[in-house]
Order: sequence, then C-alpha cells, then structure tokens
Amino acid sequence: MPTVHDWINSPLGVVEGIFAQYNSSPDWEQKVLDFFREKLKDQEAASWVPSLNDVPLHYLKTSSLVKFRCMVQDMFDPEFYVGVYETAGPSPESKVLKLGKYKDMTDCEVDLNSKHVVTMERQSFYCMPIPGESQWVKDGFACCNQARVLPSTSYVPQRHKRSHEEDDEMETQPHKQKEQLTGDHAATEAFGHGDTKRLETGSQSGHTAASGCPHPLELNFPLPGETGPACLVKVYEEWEKFKVNDVLEVYGILSVDPLLSVIAEEREGHFVDPMESLEEQRAHSPPASLVPRVHMLHAYRLQHNNPLLPPAASEVSSGFLGELASIRAELVGFLTHVLLGDSLAAEYLLLHLLSNVYARRDVLPLGKFTLNLSGCPPSSSYTEQLFGVLQQLVTCSHRVCMSLGNMNGLHFTPQKDYTANRLRSGMLQLTPNTLLVLDETQLQQGQLDAAGVRNITALGNLISWQKVDYDFSYHQMEFPCNINVLIASEGKSLLPSDCHMPLQPQLAPPNMEEYMGALQAALPPSLLNKFRIYLTALRHQEYSISEELTKMVEEDFVEMRKEDPQSISADDLHRTLVVARLLSLSAGQSTLSRDRWVRAKHLEARRTSRTPQRTINSNEP
Amino acid sequence: MAPKDYLAEKEKCKKFLQEFYSEDDSGKKVFKYGAQLVALAHREQVALHVDLDDVAEEDPELVESVCENTKRYVGLFADSIQELLPEYREKEVVAKDSLDVYIEHRLMLEQRGRDPNDTRDPRNQYPAELMRRFEMYFKPPSTAKPKVVREVRADSIGKLVTVRGIVTRATEVKPMMAVATYTCDQCGAETYQPIQSPSFMPLIMCPSQECVTNKSGGRLYLQTRGSKFVKFQELKIQEHSDQVPVGNIPRSMTIYARGENTRITQPGDHVSVTGVFLPLLRTGFRQAVQGLLSETYLEAHCITLLNKTEDDELGVEELSEEELRQITEEDFYEKLAGSIAPEIFGHEDVKKALLLLLVGGVQQAPQGMKIRGNINICLMGDPGVAKSQLLSYIDRLAPRSQYTTGRGSSGVGLTAAVMRDPLTGEMTLEGGALVLADLGVCCIDEFDKMADADRTAIHEVMEQQTISIAKAGIMTSLNARCSILAAANPAYGRYNPRKSVEQNIQLPAALLSRFDLLWLIQDRPDADGDLRLAQHITYVHQHCRQPPTHFTPINMKLMRRYISLCQRRQPVVPESLADYITAAYVEMRKEARVSKDTTFTSARTLLSILRLSTALARLRLVDTVEKEDVNEAMRLMEMSKDSLQAEKSNATRNQRPADVIFSLVRELASEAGRGRAGAGGVVRLADAEQRCVSRGFTPAQFQAALDEYEELNVWQVNQARTRITFV
Repeated sequence: MPTVHDWINSPLGVVEGIFAQYNSSPDWEQKVLDFFREKLKDQEAASWVPSLNDVPLHYLKTSSLVKFRCMVQDMFDPEFYVGVYETAGPSPESKVLKLGKYKDMTDCEVDLNSKHVVTMERQSFYCMPIPGESQWVKDGFACCNQARVLPSTSYVPQRHKRSHEEDDEMETQPHKQKEQLTGDHAATEAFGHGDTKRLETGSQSGHTAASGCPHPLELNFPLPGETGPACLVKVYEEWEKFKVNDVLEVYGILSVDPLLSVIAEEREGHFVDPMESLEEQRAHSPPASLVPRVHMLHAYRLQHNNPLLPPAASEVSSGFLGELASIRAELVGFLTHVLLGDSLAAEYLLLHLLSNVYARRDVLPLGKFTLNLSGCPPSSSYTEQLFGVLQQLVTCSHRVCMSLGNMNGLHFTPQKDYTANRLRSGMLQLTPNTLLVLDETQLQQGQLDAAGVRNITALGNLISWQKVDYDFSYHQMEFPCNINVLIASEGKSLLPSDCHMPLQPQLAPPNMEEYMGALQAALPPSLLNKFRIYLTALRHQEYSISEELTKMVEEDFVEMRKEDPQSISADDLHRTLVVARLLSLSAGQSTLSRDRWVRAKHLEARRTSRTPQRTINSNEP
Repeated sequence: MAPKDYLAEKEKCKKFLQEFYSEDDSGKKVFKYGAQLVALAHREQVALHVDLDDVAEEDPELVESVCENTKRYVGLFADSIQELLPEYREKEVVAKDSLDVYIEHRLMLEQRGRDPNDTRDPRNQYPAELMRRFEMYFKPPSTAKPKVVREVRADSIGKLVTVRGIVTRATEVKPMMAVATYTCDQCGAETYQPIQSPSFMPLIMCPSQECVTNKSGGRLYLQTRGSKFVKFQELKIQEHSDQVPVGNIPRSMTIYARGENTRITQPGDHVSVTGVFLPLLRTGFRQAVQGLLSETYLEAHCITLLNKTEDDELGVEELSEEELRQITEEDFYEKLAGSIAPEIFGHEDVKKALLLLLVGGVQQAPQGMKIRGNINICLMGDPGVAKSQLLSYIDRLAPRSQYTTGRGSSGVGLTAAVMRDPLTGEMTLEGGALVLADLGVCCIDEFDKMADADRTAIHEVMEQQTISIAKAGIMTSLNARCSILAAANPAYGRYNPRKSVEQNIQLPAALLSRFDLLWLIQDRPDADGDLRLAQHITYVHQHCRQPPTHFTPINMKLMRRYISLCQRRQPVVPESLADYITAAYVEMRKEARVSKDTTFTSARTLLSILRLSTALARLRLVDTVEKEDVNEAMRLMEMSKDSLQAEKSNATRNQRPADVIFSLVRELASEAGRGRAGAGGVVRLADAEQRCVSRGFTPAQFQAALDEYEELNVWQVNQARTRITFV
C-alpha cells in the first residue's frame, strides 16, 4: 500500500523501484538522489523523519529513513563494495540483478564472477552528536520533531522493554526483518558468542548516561561526559565536499543489522589478521547496536544548530529586526547583572558571543575576538555559574577548568592512533562557533609536565591562529577552526588574548548560586528565546565597510599615531576594527557608520583605561 | 574485444627476456636480462626486476597490457623465466636448502617414473609456484606518475599503480605459506595446494587415484619441509600531510610485501611503492556475510625509500618557460621578497633577508675546513610586530623546517636525546628539532626565553653545523646543516636603543655574532608609513583579502620550486671581486671602531657578506658573484645595523670623530694638570696624537680635529706644533 510515508519506512524499496525502472542505466543513481532531495525540500516532510539524536535507537527499524545531526569526527579509508550484483542461482533464469548500494549485506548468494558485478567505492565517516551541544538545543530539536514524528514512528512495535533485554530483541529482530537469514546457523551461533559483550555494552545503547564507567568500546567523544549515539555514515556521493568537524544534517538509511557485529565477533574469535589489530576492528566495525550505520542519501552542512531558527541563518524575519534594539538592550542588561553590574564588560561579552572567524588570510584569521575576563572572584563558584548562564544562551559550549591536573591529564589535541587506525579525539576537536570557557581561576602553582606544556601550546595556537595541530605522530596537520575562547582569570591570563577586560564588579552577592539562580528565574522564557535567536542570527550577517569610511578610519589612525605613537599600534587598529564590526552587527547593521566607529573607539578607550599602564613604559629609563 | 591470446603474449615476454640488450660504451651488446637469468639459474640472485622502460623500448603495447592487467603478466613472465632457466644454466648448482633438494628429487622422480601412458593426475602435478625459486617484479615505467593514496580508486583495481606515503605500521616479517604440500598416510601420494589468500582451508582427504578408488580414506598430513614459504610483511602507508586537502583526514593503504621486498622499510619512512592494487579475497563464512564489501591491498613490486626533500614534488618537474618568465621579471628580487608573508605589511628588507635565508649561501669546504653556507637570522622587536607570523610563514614555505619556541624546548629537544628502547633495551639516538631540520630551516620563537644551558647547544650548530653527542656510551656527531631563524623579544619589553644589543636581548655575544643578520623590527611612528599601514589593515577588514599590490604574490608552490632550483647553483666569488670585498670589509671594521658600534664587526661579518652575496647570485641563477650582489649584501648588512641604531642617531647627537678627539685631548690635559699642579691646560701634541691613534683614529683625522678646534679658538697650537694649550 503506497502511502506518503513509504519513502520514510522503506526507502530501500523506493531505491530498488527506481533502479528497476531505469533498468540499471547509469542515471538511476542520480534519480534516487533527486527523489529524496525533492522529498526533503519540504521542511514539513523533513520533520517527519525520525532523528537519531532524540529517538532511542531501539525504537528505530533497520533500513528505515532517519536523520542525524552530527559532527564528522573521523574519516576512515574508503570501502569498495559491490554496487550491482547478480544473485547466484542454479539456473540462468533465476539470476536477478540486484543492488548493493545503501546496504551492508546481502540476503542471498552473490555470484561474484558474473560480469554484471560493478565494484563501487564509498567513504565512511565516523560521526557523533555535536560536542558540547546545549541541553536546550537538544530539547528544542526534539520537540520540533516529536509532534510529527510520533504518528510516523507508530509502526514501530511499542515493545517497552529495557535495553538490557537485548538478547530477546536480537532474536526477534532478524526474524522480523530478515527472514532469509534466520536459517543461517552460523549466525545464530555467533549471537551466542556475542551475548556477553552485548550485555556489557547494552547500557549505552539505551541512552542512559554511560559516561564515567570504563567500557570496552571507546566511542571517542571529544568532551568528557558526552552521550548519544555515534554513527558510521556511509557516504556515496561527493564526499570531497565534507570535512572533518563539519556539522551535518544527514538523511540516510539506518542499518543496525546484528550481523554486522557478528563479523567483528567472528574476526576476534577465529581469524586474526596480521595487520588489523583487535583495536582496529573494534574501531572500524563496532557492534551495530552501539554504533549504527547510516547510508547517506542526502546531507547538507548546517550553518548553526539553533532549533529556533530556519537552517539558513541569514533569513531573519523582518519583525525580529524591528525588535533588535530592544533585545540588544535587554541582553546587555541581563549580561550586566550576570557580570555583577559591570556594563562595559557586558558589552564586550556580547561582542565576544557574536564573534566569528569570517575569513582567513594565509595564516591570519579575521574576526576572532578572544576575550580575557580578568578579576573574576576566585573563591566562589562564579565562573561555573557564569558558564551555566552562557550555556543557556549559546548553542554549543564547553568549560575547561585549567587546573593542573586537567592541564597535565586531558588530551587537548586529537591524535592519530595507529593501532586502532583512527583519530583519537581531543578536547579541542569542536565544531565552529563553539564557546570554550577556560577557567583559569582554578589554576594553582605547580609543575606542568610535557603533556601540560603541549596542551598550553595548543590553547595558545588556538587563540592566536584559530587552528589546532592534530598529531599524526609522524607529522602534524593543521586544522583550521572557529572557536570562541573566553578566558576567565584572576589576573591577566597567561594565555594570549585579543582583548583583555578587567572586571569591575559593582556588587558582591553573598551567595553566588542564589544570585544567578534568581537572575535566570527572572528571565521570561520568550525573552530567553529571543536572546538565543539574536545571538545565532546576527553572527552570520553580512558586513562591509564603505570606501568613505575606510578613508576616515585611515586618517583617524594616522592622527592618533601622530599625537601619541604609543597609544595605538597595528594590533590595536585590527582590534578596533573587529570591535566596530561586532558593534555594527550587534545593532543589526551591515555596514560601518561613523557613529559606530567613534563608539568602538570610545569603548576601547574605556577598556584600556582599566588595564594597568603597560609594563613596558614603566621600564623606560 | 577478442580475448587475448595469452600464449602469444607469453612468447612476447620470452622474446623480450632473451633478446633485450643495450649497448655499452664500447658498442658491445649487453644482455641485461640474459645475464640476470644466468644468475637466477645459479641461484645467485633471487629477484628479477623487469624494468618496464626497457619493455617499452621493444614493445610499447606490452607495457600497456602489463600496467592494465599486472597480475596476469606476472604469471606470464614468471612462466617464461621458468622455462628459460634451464637454457641459461652453465654449471651444476649446489643445493642450498632442503627445498632445493626436495625439488631436485621430485624432478628426478618425475623423469624416472615418466611413463608415456601415465597421464598424471592434475592434482598431483607440481604447481609452478613450488618449483620456482626466484621472484619476479616489475619496475614501473618512468613516465608513470606517482599517485596520492586518495586517488587510487576502484578503477585502479588490478592495475599497476605507484603511490607515495609515509609508513605508519609494519608487521614483523613472517613466513607465509605459498604452496602447501601434504602426504597421505595411506598411499604416500603427495598433494599440493597453492595458496593465494591469507587464510586457507587445509585439505583433509587424499584425492589421489589410489585412495579414491580404494575408499581407504587416506588422511593428508601437512609437510612443512616440502611446502614453500615466502617472507611476508604487511605495511600500512599513510598519505603525506601535504597531499591531504584541507580539513580531511589522511588516508591509508595496506601493502603486502613478499620475498625480497620485505624488511625494506620501517615505520616513519617516506616511501614510494609500486604494486598491483588488488581486492582481498575472503573465504568461508566471512565472504558470505560480507559479500558486498571487499578489502583491498597493494601487492608490492617495488619499494623505494625517499628522502623527505626528494619526496616533496618540487624540483621533480622543471619550471616551465612561462613560470620562469613570471619569476624572472625585472624586479624579481623585490617580487620574490614581497611574496614572503604578503599579509604582513612593510619590512621589505627583512623579507629580502628571509628570502636569502631560504636560498642559502654556498657552503665552502677548503681542505676539510667547513664554512657554512646557511644564513642565520635573528629577528628582534617589540611585542606585536609580526615576528611570529614571519616565522610561521617561513616554517610553512620552507620545504623542510621545524618550528619550536624557546620556552618549550630544552637543549635535548633541540639537539638529540639518547633514549632506551623500551622493547630491546638498546640505546638509541633520537634527533631533536635541529637534527630534524637538517638541510632546512629551524625557526625558534622566543629565543630569549630559553635557558642558558640549552642555548649553548646551539652554538655548535650555528657555526659547525653538527651536533656532537657523548652520552651513555654513544659518541657521535650528527649533521645539523640548518639555517636558524630566531625571534627574540627585548629584555625590557621594548627595545632600548641606548643599550647594546646584548643588554637588550640578554643573549651572549658569542651567540649573537653567529647570526649573519640581526634585525630589529620596531614600531616607529611615521605619518606616511602609518597611513599605508592603516590602509592595509582596513582593506583587509573590508574585503577579507589582500590589498592589490603592484604585483601579485607568487604562490608558495612556485616559490618553493624556484628556491630549490636556485639551490642547485654553486656560484663562486671571482678573483676580481676579492679586493673589492676586502677593501669593503676593512672599511666596515674601521667604521665600526669609529662609531662605537653596539654590534660586532668581525671576521664573521666578512663571511656573512660572502654568504649573502652567493645567495643573491643563486637567486639570479648565475654561477659567479657580481659586484652588485656584494653591494646588496652590504646594504642589507648596513640596513640591519641601522635598524639597531637608527633611533640613536636621532636621539643623541651624532659624535663626529673630531668631537671625540677633542674630548680625548681634554681628558689628557686634565690628567696632565693633576700631575703637575698649576701647569694645567697644556698637552704635548705628540702625546695627544698617540693617544688618539691608539683609539683608532687616523693621524689625518687628528690633524683635521686639531685645525677645527683651533679655528674655534678652543685651544692653541704653538708654532712648532709640539704643544696644545687650552684657552
């Protein structure tokens, strides 16, 4: 019975239909892609597709269409597979041309010697949920979907069983979906082998927090305490288009066939390849119940992961633009309270939250605006609270306590693990526009070991050049990134920063937790959502400087240098231009105006007046 | 397409092996493969490499077929060789190992027991692989371009491909069964099983005629002595970092090396591997479930180790006419210099110096004494003047470079460390940054922050270009022929021109004098420069790209290739210029004495000038140094000194020699005054002159000063010109 949801429930059927229709002429591939692209154009239709991010894996049927909002963490080597094959049969008539694309395994004998066999190539990406994604983002996406997803997922037998009853599920699954395979005694035998392992790992597939406990399979999340399904995405077309650390929305065919794990089990048991170590097998073919496979039909890069906005951030409703000024004022007011009454710091924090590396010239990233908030109250949990508030505002964030133990113990840069043949993730493997809060107030005196020094260097590189050098042990590879770094420190930070902002608290609430809690409670949710939209939308606005203003800025600079050459350097000009840009953006303006420039200069002057006179001058004889 | 007649093809192979010859100098025919076949027949050679270039001379079509369907042709060639070998055997071969004895025995048996009516059971026939004691490999045609791992796609399966990469893993070399030999416990018949895949299913039942008809159920037992094993090693290579598109993870590839190709590489080596790209056959259950997937590997035919410098594709192809023209335009020197870190505004002379550092001077080694050709440069400057950016740009531009910071590296990290291998307990030497940057550039940021003890490690490198190690029983000397590019911050935050260089950077003179050029990059206000700077920065922010300059910067790749082209030149200083240079040097020495230089003008300066001029000559791609080169070298020297002192000339009054002489004479006068009370103010002229000359002034200068001050009526000289009296 062909229904609307057919292409969601059994996309493979659609693919096979198209394949048969075009009679294996080469353009069937394009037709398949076009079909799904066309279907998914509709926002409405796209939201019918269940998302791996919020629907537990065991509710999803294998070979149904799913979507996944994820970051590309690693790229494995390409796989060669049989794209079109002929079934092996006793008589020539029973031979049928079949399709091997978008599948992990066949359900019948393959005649590998047939001349119809076409070998094709595909790429697999190891993808994981966006690291550091705020809870409100997850919830936001979940409720956008849920409303429409429920009817479409109703076909899933609502067997409310716990995930640790995997045994049972595994028995039923193949029976239900892959009848042909049940006869394969070897497979069932291998299930038996797999049981113990399954039980160990079972708790994770069930979305229960499995962060802390050591488990046999490392899911390789960059940040500690992350959960969610990691996923092996098989890419069939245009894989050159995607890069590591890209945020993608992938639509594809889910494959959780337990047989996939069987292969791994079998390998471990009987056949030890001299090259493929155990670790490698585990990394590259983990049990499908833990790391499902998704065969990509359609994917696009997400500019942002804010559920409150349409995918293209630049299209903001005009009504919203009208409100900009008031939202900005509210937001600055809110941040002022958060920063204990320091309105200048609040202004800078706002600019920082809007900053974005918009271009790169050779090694120099443009638009980065690392903020160093010094003078944070050291004893209380202020920075933690501050982070809690910021988390409510931005889509992705992470806080690092720069304690000695962390600096020496954590892996900051991703590293290639040659035994497992995969990229071991590090904390700095983050998606663009993630807010990274470095809490330097936690730093004590002590000895940094070699790893600690490397970590500090990595942070320095990140801040100065917006790049992370991934360690490939024989050489380093530079990966450009776009991470907003906010450093909270007591004195001036030991890390470099674009902008040093000494905090001048106007009030000292006795109980920081209560104070912050009250602040957040006082914020109406509708306003909070506006803040969120504001921050995401304005970040990606276009911006330009007119010729006329360029002239003015130049003259201004020369003037200032004439008066006092120490007052402004090339770096200061860079910074002031960035401040001016962010100021203009924060007001929703796409060009620089004279007023803004003057304001930017004024802000900078107010800020520098707070910083102690440069030590350089005091040393002059 | 009609199926190929492989028998005919085989004849072609045979003919090629027999008939290929080249003519040596005296016009004699040298049968390249014929000679090798003899060696093979005598078991003196194991591997035969068939150079496809040679094949191309005879039969270009055959090369094409070989490249397309390599595995088949390996078999054809091997069969031909096998058939040809008896013809080439010139003497009786002594059996080397048990398998030889075995083979001989079998051949004898076969001949003795040959019965014309007895058609042998095909299964009991000796497989060709078993009898073969040689290995056959193809050497790729030189026209074939090495591929990047990610370019090896499904369409390359079965073809001969050459890839480059870095070895990331290598297994131990293990024996791998090539042919399994079984004997039956009932009838004693031998059965052979050639093995292609990494795993195999052993035969159990005896297939011989006797056992089958008798249904005796003979069991087969594996005979290790009669089986043939080959050395087997698996390698994994990974793309080199510059072959990876931005934002991608390097790909890797599995390589199977057999026989003579094993034990050639170790992890970390840069290699170029030629081989056949093949799918891996899985058997049994795995094939059933994984039917849709096939793993691939490269069956190695030819593994060559590469130096990293060679590996970078620069210099592989000659620069085309067009590119050369693009570079060697009129103002190519400015243009090349301007293309270094185009995003950094100004500092033309610094960039020129850096360009020369990349090109390097000519190393001289007269009678074993080595004079380095590498140019060392130290950049000093106030914080925030783009020193680090220049360094990081050079680090990227130089084909071989290491970047470290002074704070982050110890002496051991820079030079070499002796490590104990955790597995074997052996002592091994591990090279540090300077050793790794051999024949390249070592960029050291924050040079001043380095601990003194660590810094001394650099002294040797900077002049002798070696690192001597005497640690833990290892005494050796490692090459470290690298140019050092250091960046240092002034000791007091800002450079203080009133102090000497050592005081400013707090580096010992011994180290500073080893730098050919010291640049002080200062942030000085000047309206014109400021305007240009402002324009530059605003433009960048406005358009997100480089402002249009009077030239388009030459891209990095072209720069690299041009530089490597330059480095092949070995220009010499012609006799005629020697006088000019010595005169110039003497002049510089003189000036340095006069102006109380804060830098050093020593013999090292002379060498620096020579280095810089040879580098300039290299840059012009000529073989002799010209006067302009020397002039430019001296100009750069001068500019670098000026950068250290420029402000001084503004700040304090320029001290002319006459003024200095005057103060010297007055000093003398007051001394004399103290000695003979009352008679102050009179100095003997001879004394004064002697004093001045000893301070480095010429008598002429002294006379000039004498006259000048006499005119000013400061002192009077008596008629006999023997005494100076102060007025």
